[in-house]
Amino acid sequence: MKLLLTGVALLMALVVATALGQLLPGLGRIVDPFLLVVVYCALRGGETQGMITGLAAGWVQDAQFAGPVLGISPLTKIVVGFTVGLAGKHFLLAGLGARTLVLLAAAAADTLLFQWLAAVFDVRVLDLGPLGLLWRATVNAGLGVAIFELVDRRLPREGHA
Amino acid sequence: MALALGVHKSRFLLVGLVVLHLAAISHQVDAGGGVSLLQRAVFTLLSPVESAFSGAARGVISAWRAWVDLRRVHQTNERLEERVRYLETLLQQRQHQASEADRLRGVLGLRETLPLETIAAEIVTRDGMPWFRSLTLDRGRQAGVALEAAVISPEGVLGRVVAVGPNAAKVQLLQDRESGAGVMIERSRVVGVVSGQIGFADAGANDLVMKYVPGLADVVVGDIAVTSGMDRIYPKGLVVGRVRLVGPGSGLFKEILVTPAARPDQIEEVLVVKKTGGPPAFDESVK
Repeated sequence: MKLLLTGVALLMALVVATALGQLLPGLGRIVDPFLLVVVYCALRGGETQGMITGLAAGWVQDAQFAGPVLGISPLTKIVVGFTVGLAGKHFLLAGLGARTLVLLAAAAADTLLFQWLAAVFDVRVLDLGPLGLLWRATVNAGLGVAIFELVDRRLPREGHA
Repeated sequence: MALALGVHKSRFLLVGLVVLHLAAISHQVDAGGGVSLLQRAVFTLLSPVESAFSGAARGVISAWRAWVDLRRVHQTNERLEERVRYLETLLQQRQHQASEADRLRGVLGLRETLPLETIAAEIVTRDGMPWFRSLTLDRGRQAGVALEAAVISPEGVLGRVVAVGPNAAKVQLLQDRESGAGVMIERSRVVGVVSGQIGFADAGANDLVMKYVPGLADVVVGDIAVTSGMDRIYPKGLVVGRVRLVGPGSGLFKEILVTPAARPDQIEEVLVVKKTGGPPAFDESVK
């Protein structure tokens, strides 16, 4: 059941990313629905599930949107999924404030890690800059908090995204 | 005890996955500019899924647009009729100018630029990540799309094909930081290279940087930049954009920003230039 729901969530992320790219390309570059799925699964299911979801989400995202080198997104999202899952096990992250912080940190970490890996492997990518980083983290955190609340109301407390 | 074992297991898994991905990325980077087997396999596997999702998204968008357009169709129709009349007049003018130019070219013995053979394609997906500027097209190898083929729109050059599947192709836009195209200022024939490397959040985020233009070269704001054909990817003479800013730069070269003529966010159809396989045809003057 967990696997099925995660698959459905990733499919929905793909639909949202594709539709945003067609309708609002500017927003499509900022909103990362795959990251939201990874963070939610990591918070609900722990580090292993966060990691596996990150693996799947990253590959789908890379295959559809990435540049000449594949694998940076999955690697980034694996690490983010693992870290968020681990943090979720050790701290109480169910509140609105805590989730906002987690999402902000996850989006910032995702961006910084991606840019760092791209620099390490000499893959030239567009530089987001501090303003772009902040904007991306804020938009994803805002959207994520709202979506997590909605999903929480639909799913049973001990269930999974 | 069981929890500790679980945590250890997940850490081993993390290390394994990280090492595996680092190896996969290193392999692709080592392969040089070519397309790796991994990249080709993943792209081929997922391109039908992309097309399906894009089709569904386009269906919804079309239905919405149809409803909205219905309300304005009469006004649009009148405007279009007027535009057609204007364009017909313009076409007659242009035909006259073209025949005159042909005649003059024949007299001067200049070589005529070869007409481009193109494949029409629709945009399936646009970039969904802030780090890259790419498009996916609904035409691939089966339609004759080749790797490194130039992709153009009526407004100007868009980019080049960097991955080809049987029925889809990925295009790297000129705005991508990995891109590069040989260009020439139409007025003064000053040559350089454009690539996209303006930051995502900067004011001129879509502008291209024109590099390697000497400090004394004759380039002014408003100049038109066209492809030089020297990169063996883009045919000579296609419009790339208009010079927006010319600065002294640091060192020997000018700092030039070019606003691209083609707006990838606003178009739905593109043309892929068929690769001929031969070397680019240079003008007699270049020879």
